[in-house]
Amino acid sequence: MYSAADFLPLGEQRDVHGISRPSLSYLQDAWRRLKANRRALASLYLVLGLLFFTIAGPWLWRVDPAVQDLDQISQRPGVDRAALIVPDYQSWDGAGETGPLHVVGDATSQSVRLKWDALPGAFGHRIYRNIFPVGPELAYGMPLAEFFDNAITHHEDRLDLRPGRYYYSVVALGEDGVIGGNYQSLTVDVQRVTTLAEAVDRGLIADQDQLEVGDSIELQLHPLGTDYLGRDMLARLMAGARVSLFIGIVAPALFVLFGVVFGATAGFIGGRVDQFMMRFADFVVALPFLLFMILFKIAFGIGPGESGVMPMLVAMVVLLWPATARLVRGQILQLREQAYVQASQLLGARTNYLVLRHMLPNTFGVVLVTLTFEIPKAIFVEAFLSFIGMGVAPPTPSWGSMSNEGIATMLTTPHELIFPALLISMTVLAFNLLGDGLRDALDARMRNSG
Amino acid sequence: MNDRASRANFSELRQLGLYALYVVSGLVAAVWLLGIAANSTGSTVTGGAIDADGKAITIALRTEPPQLDYSRATDSSSFTVLFHNMEGLLTYDDNMALIPGVAERYEIREDGATFWLREDARWSNGEPVTAHDFVFAWRRVQDPATASAYAFIMYPVKNAEAINRGDLPREALGVRAVSDHILEVEFEQPTPYFDKLVAFVTFYPINEAFFESTDGRFGADADMLLYNGPYRMTEWVHSASMRWERNPDYWGDHKGFIDTINVGYITQDVNSRLNLFKDGQIADTQLVPQMLGEAMERRWQIDRSMDGTVFFLQLNFREGRLTANRNFRKALLLAQDPVEFVYKALKEPSYMPAVSLFPFWIRGVDSYFRQEHPPMPHEYNVAKAREHLEAARQELGLEEFPPIHLLADDSPIGAVSSEYYQAVYARNLGLELRIDKQIFKQRLAKMDAGDFDIVVSGWGPDYDDALTFGDLFSSWNLNNRGRYSSPEMDALVRIAQSELDPVARMEAFGKIQDLVHDDVVIVPMYERGWSYVVDPRLKGFKRRAVGPEVDYTYAWIDEQATD
Repeated sequence: MYSAADFLPLGEQRDVHGISRPSLSYLQDAWRRLKANRRALASLYLVLGLLFFTIAGPWLWRVDPAVQDLDQISQRPGVDRAALIVPDYQSWDGAGETGPLHVVGDATSQSVRLKWDALPGAFGHRIYRNIFPVGPELAYGMPLAEFFDNAITHHEDRLDLRPGRYYYSVVALGEDGVIGGNYQSLTVDVQRVTTLAEAVDRGLIADQDQLEVGDSIELQLHPLGTDYLGRDMLARLMAGARVSLFIGIVAPALFVLFGVVFGATAGFIGGRVDQFMMRFADFVVALPFLLFMILFKIAFGIGPGESGVMPMLVAMVVLLWPATARLVRGQILQLREQAYVQASQLLGARTNYLVLRHMLPNTFGVVLVTLTFEIPKAIFVEAFLSFIGMGVAPPTPSWGSMSNEGIATMLTTPHELIFPALLISMTVLAFNLLGDGLRDALDARMRNSG
Repeated sequence: MNDRASRANFSELRQLGLYALYVVSGLVAAVWLLGIAANSTGSTVTGGAIDADGKAITIALRTEPPQLDYSRATDSSSFTVLFHNMEGLLTYDDNMALIPGVAERYEIREDGATFWLREDARWSNGEPVTAHDFVFAWRRVQDPATASAYAFIMYPVKNAEAINRGDLPREALGVRAVSDHILEVEFEQPTPYFDKLVAFVTFYPINEAFFESTDGRFGADADMLLYNGPYRMTEWVHSASMRWERNPDYWGDHKGFIDTINVGYITQDVNSRLNLFKDGQIADTQLVPQMLGEAMERRWQIDRSMDGTVFFLQLNFREGRLTANRNFRKALLLAQDPVEFVYKALKEPSYMPAVSLFPFWIRGVDSYFRQEHPPMPHEYNVAKAREHLEAARQELGLEEFPPIHLLADDSPIGAVSSEYYQAVYARNLGLELRIDKQIFKQRLAKMDAGDFDIVVSGWGPDYDDALTFGDLFSSWNLNNRGRYSSPEMDALVRIAQSELDPVARMEAFGKIQDLVHDDVVIVPMYERGWSYVVDPRLKGFKRRAVGPEVDYTYAWIDEQATD
């Protein structure tokens, strides 16, 4: 039951109608919703990370992407880099003791010197190198050299020697030059070596006096391995990111901007002007991109061996804007008929006010989303054009051209393809997911929800 | 609220993961099913690489011959097809020695040659192959209307060059049929190597009556040719397949042991040819360096051969080019090491670092030419190269060198070569090379126009004589695309062309070799070879340096050998 005390007046109350939540602007609200979307947030961090990788990377990892380290060609990441220092290479005339197949001197990654006595009944010899011992199938491995002359009984192997175990065989050739079943085999362990001159050349030591023959040294570090000419993959990926992201961000920024202006004008003016402008957009859509890319390359006077990035940029800006223009025009047409716009007009708002206050902010979300979806597309186009050789000029790398080079050795050294392909995929995915998140976050109708 | 949102996100992620799982497992299942389907139909479609009962084999060609009109053929694919289905006056045995073909015997004199033709050589329509067929074919090659790219190879025959220029009628050609079986050739100048020339496709005979009946479509289809070789083509599905059957009218029994050779596939892609070989669909295939590891793992018997072609950087001697300066060229030669290029960058075991314009297999008087006339060994000397470069800079009066235009083709090896040399010259000489990658035809057009400083190019032999390389840099040779011109070279080539004493002739080639090195006409890169693998049941298969790329005419099937 109620007592009299229940009916006493309350004391003075503050903030009865106070605002319980902070006031949020459109962007603040969008940012809040974007933050709640973990996928989009992760993508945002990924994009920021990529930008860091591209811009700051080359400052931290100061390796020239064009320098060829021919001692470490197509090297997988994370292999042992210890090398022994040996004297400079001296040519060999086949001197050494005789006997069945044997190695003269040390077997090193510089050279393996083989010498043998002529096999009985042979008219010549063929030298093989294998990664397996010769089994009953008599598969000797890959033939390195052959001599139709029993006077030559030595061979120096310098072909792409890697540290590890090789099985050499010398096989007798018959009179007709066909191999017989008569062979000798030899197991050889090859040690990684380098010379003082090479070490100085590669900047591993300052001058030749620092070390001497017989010392051990660590070869250059390649965290992500090297490509088919011994170039550092990490440095190339960073340099390639510059090209890929430059095209990927600048080109869409420009053509989306143009599309917005074009589409907004057409939509806002409407009528015949709109018809004419949109038919022009249709005409541009019908132009073949690749052909124009080539035409621009010629029109720009881009000579052989020069980068095709600028014509690529121009071709994209000139040819890819209609999609955005159509989208924005549709939005504007729709907005023009909205009640609040008409109300605003009735209240005497001028065109400037209408466009700046009502039209553009309401298309902002669509435009931003288009932009984030166009970026991965542009990166793909760049990758594709560089893949078919229309893009950057060697030795400048781009992710697309690196994938093209890597695909030739996909089975033996997959890292040359995987890294650039992974970066392309990751970038494209990140921008797509970010775009998804932005679309949700920027949608004005979802304001204050979620 | 945040909590709810994150839970919603988590379930979203789980759903996404589930979708991904569905897609992946669906794809795996599809691949598996397709694999089964392909296996169950694959074996019935073709007879496989080797059909021992039917004495048939299936092979793949790299490219489709543009046409088989042998007066105009220039590509190695056409040469391969024609070598199996045609025969010239002379031909090659299984060890690359010249043996009688349509001609039973011959005689080469200072002023001409006589060929005595065998009477049992027949066309595939039963008519005999006569001396008139050769006269008709050779006249046609020189006819300007035929526009044969290989017309020059016949220039040793009297009046050939004049006819080709249009100065004389084609009947003036120095060749005539004394009787049906005696062919007389008159020379423009002494040509001691003429016997090696006549094995080349441009010298093959044409039956005039048949040629007229083809109405301009000669060589365009399987039935638009008459055959006189060990095989005859019975089917040619353009860009897809061919079928060569043993020619029952062929006069000899020393070649053609396999009844049917099916060219089942025409594809340039080495990877798809390797897959066809793995599936047992073709009898042999080429191996590129990145395939060798797998080949060794599969315990294949890998074979090798020389391809005959020498690759080099050809330098432009046209006025105004940096490469016209001898010191500059000298610097280019000294600053690079072909050994490093072949062994480290190309990694192809069948390639040999080149030191000379002449490949090692060219014959000299008694043994190999390069044993009799050893080339100057290559010197890799960066310090000396920089001295030459400095001298060139002063001679040319330059502050610094402008970028160098390096022309290359768009093949994978073209890319490796051009990028390797770009880096080497940047590192050792501080020169900037701009790479101009072009498709083969476009590269040739640019070479003809002289639009390059350096071009990555190669030269393959047309016939088995040192002259096929030796006359390359004479001032009148159109293939001398750097326009190198020196009276000394021209005089040496004249000697090499017409000298009858083999010792003096080889001497001239030795001097050409030294001159090419001294003047740095080229920077030698490598001699190309092939690593390849052959089905163990196929024996006697050859890859050749001169003539056809692949030769099955002496091949046979060994049924005992295991698959």
